[in-house]
Amino acid sequence: MAVKRKIIKERVPTPERPPEERVKSFVEVNLGYTFELAVKEAERCLQCPYDYAPCIKGCPVHIDIPGFISKLVQYRDNPDKAVKEALNVIWACNSLPATTGRVCPQEDQCEMNCVMGKVGDKINIGKLERFVADYAREKGIDEELLFEIVPKIEKKGQRVAIIGAGPAGLTAAGELAKLGYDVTIYEALHEAGGVLMYGIPEFRLPKSIVESEIDKLRKLGVKILTDHVVGRTVTIEELLEEYDAVFIGSGAGTPRLVNAPGINLNGIYTANEFLTRVNLMKAYLFPEYDTPVYVGDKVIVIGAGNTAMDAARSARRFGAEVTIAYRRGPEDVSARIEEVHHAKEEGIKFEYYINPVEFIGDENGKVKAVKFEKMKALDERDSRGKRKIVGTGEYVVLEADTVIIAIGKHPNRLIINTPGLKVERGRIVVDENLMTSIPGVFAGGDAIRGEATVILAMGDGRRAAKAIHEYLTKKREEQKANA
Amino acid sequence: MPYKILDKKELAMNEIWYKIHAPHVARKVQPGQFVIVRAFSNGERIPLTPVTWDREEGWITLITFVRGKTTMRMANELKPGDEILNVAGPLGNPAPMKKYGRILAIGMITGIVEVFPIAKAWQEIGNEVTTLHVTPNPMVLLKEEFEEAVSRHIVEGFDLQPGWGMQEIAQELVKRAVAKVKELLEKEHFDMILTVGPAGGQKAIFNVVKEYGIPMHADLHPIMVDATGMCGACRVTIGGEVKFACIDGPGFDAYKVDWDELIHRTGFYAPMERLAMEHYLKQLQAQGGEQ
Repeated sequence: MAVKRKIIKERVPTPERPPEERVKSFVEVNLGYTFELAVKEAERCLQCPYDYAPCIKGCPVHIDIPGFISKLVQYRDNPDKAVKEALNVIWACNSLPATTGRVCPQEDQCEMNCVMGKVGDKINIGKLERFVADYAREKGIDEELLFEIVPKIEKKGQRVAIIGAGPAGLTAAGELAKLGYDVTIYEALHEAGGVLMYGIPEFRLPKSIVESEIDKLRKLGVKILTDHVVGRTVTIEELLEEYDAVFIGSGAGTPRLVNAPGINLNGIYTANEFLTRVNLMKAYLFPEYDTPVYVGDKVIVIGAGNTAMDAARSARRFGAEVTIAYRRGPEDVSARIEEVHHAKEEGIKFEYYINPVEFIGDENGKVKAVKFEKMKALDERDSRGKRKIVGTGEYVVLEADTVIIAIGKHPNRLIINTPGLKVERGRIVVDENLMTSIPGVFAGGDAIRGEATVILAMGDGRRAAKAIHEYLTKKREEQKANA
Repeated sequence: MPYKILDKKELAMNEIWYKIHAPHVARKVQPGQFVIVRAFSNGERIPLTPVTWDREEGWITLITFVRGKTTMRMANELKPGDEILNVAGPLGNPAPMKKYGRILAIGMITGIVEVFPIAKAWQEIGNEVTTLHVTPNPMVLLKEEFEEAVSRHIVEGFDLQPGWGMQEIAQELVKRAVAKVKELLEKEHFDMILTVGPAGGQKAIFNVVKEYGIPMHADLHPIMVDATGMCGACRVTIGGEVKFACIDGPGFDAYKVDWDELIHRTGFYAPMERLAMEHYLKQLQAQGGEQ
């Protein structure tokens, strides 16, 4: 008979800073577990066997979740050892756990499938992952582990170029470096991290944490060339002359705009521009930092995905009254539940079933209001399972002195204009091994998906690394045979 | 990835010339393209145009006009041997390299710096290029270089009057530019016009040029942040369509540009830029006070 274990139904909560305090700064909202709290939460895990564990199946990078959680409990008397063992398990699949622990939509992935959910709260997998990464970083345990791993890497003598230092590219780079390939990342911006640096705000993902994760990749031997814009500084054809394989992880680099009159009025930002100014260029520290951002008293954010929440909550921290305007209803909001919850706690208003049709400006070309058409939902559903919406012919005008458009992105045009690269509807076409129409050139993340999540991009990075490894192994063997 | 300043000097009042080691740019840059420079860790990303370059030695030269906090800090704080944090590029599309015939290439104030590589290349492929620099007298730039590179170089200078602010300078600039362009177009035939400079000046010149129906290429300078097509700060309306100057431009058919929108958009941050400048000047004063 199996050992009977006591089921603890309630999740051990992570401390959070109160809303009234956090709307005044960009300091991180969630404070994370202490070791004691983490062990308490870890103990709730039922430890499903590896082959069955539904959480692993729900994770795009297949982290051995019960495996890392069990280490925390097993070595509970030795926190450093517990974390080192747990980190070792995570690193086998994921080089950026401090990031994924914070920004993954766990509720739709690992946690969605958690068996504990049938009797109580699901295990707080994301926060446990984050705890392991944070504790390891603070205590230098990650460095120790790297020190053990790096000398064991066997050099393959082949070179791989990676385009874009975002989640997909960083993951592919980490995996390939661990396999012994000589990896160079080409990054257009002045800092590596991609959307983790320019898109996700400090209060959700502190930049110092991203920097420290990237620093570990450098210690694995990954070279990062910033200020290199592929498509301008160097072309994919040129990269293929120098490298044995190329991975495109250039992301969804071009914002979608609302096709309505007045879109270029001053005070109308794309979410990309607004968040880049605030996060990457630290406009919230203006004039200490030189890049300004204009946030008026009344801000309207158009869209209801995670990017919209990030933009809205950032604008709120400048003291603005913020409204999220969404053309569909609350059930179709695509942002994570936690983000919507945080946004509401911070006083952000939600207006549903309104769709912008015109931006109204003043005599100086600055936005002062947005005209919306009221929408209604039909019973009929579209291909994504969302209810179809139609205009009602009724309109409403809302005042706004800043508008942020957060309705999605297209892949960056500089990359997709490469001759011979097959592209459909702006997305790079890949086969089941993530290889593009150009032999030796692979792609993943938003460049092939349009837009998705950090972890899906990382999943692609990992899959691509595996495919590149197979491709290059074959190439090595062929060269050996021909020699 | 720091980039070493190989040389630096003041060319004219508030016009600073930098020679910078940036081999990745030098290898690839074409006339009409630009770079994004971020000089300091808390600095902005600003677009600047390589004026000359050496592909083998791996350097480019840039000229800045001191007008905001960033350009002033660069002028004050950087010396030869120092490093600039970032030089990204080359960015934007090269200017079209065609045989047009007789070309008039107009640069207003620092705009002339961007005219240089394009005008020189146009002359080299067999065009007959006249360049016109409209500028306050203390800011004559690259005069000898132009005289050597193109068929004819005209400087239309004017004296700054005491008490003039940016507004008055801009008004005089436009007045002078328009008068000179009219004079030239009355007397001579041109097949193509190029303008670089403040959007208001470009619009005024365009209004003259369109009377004559001459094709006109305008290099635009909207505000940019990432300059790789990602942020959309630089969007401009061209022929009724939204374009991004960083990846679709920076050069466009002047007949299709929505000039008033461009003028509004380029002026949006002026009050905040003044604030940043005041903040910097206060810092400088405080430092001076401690010494």
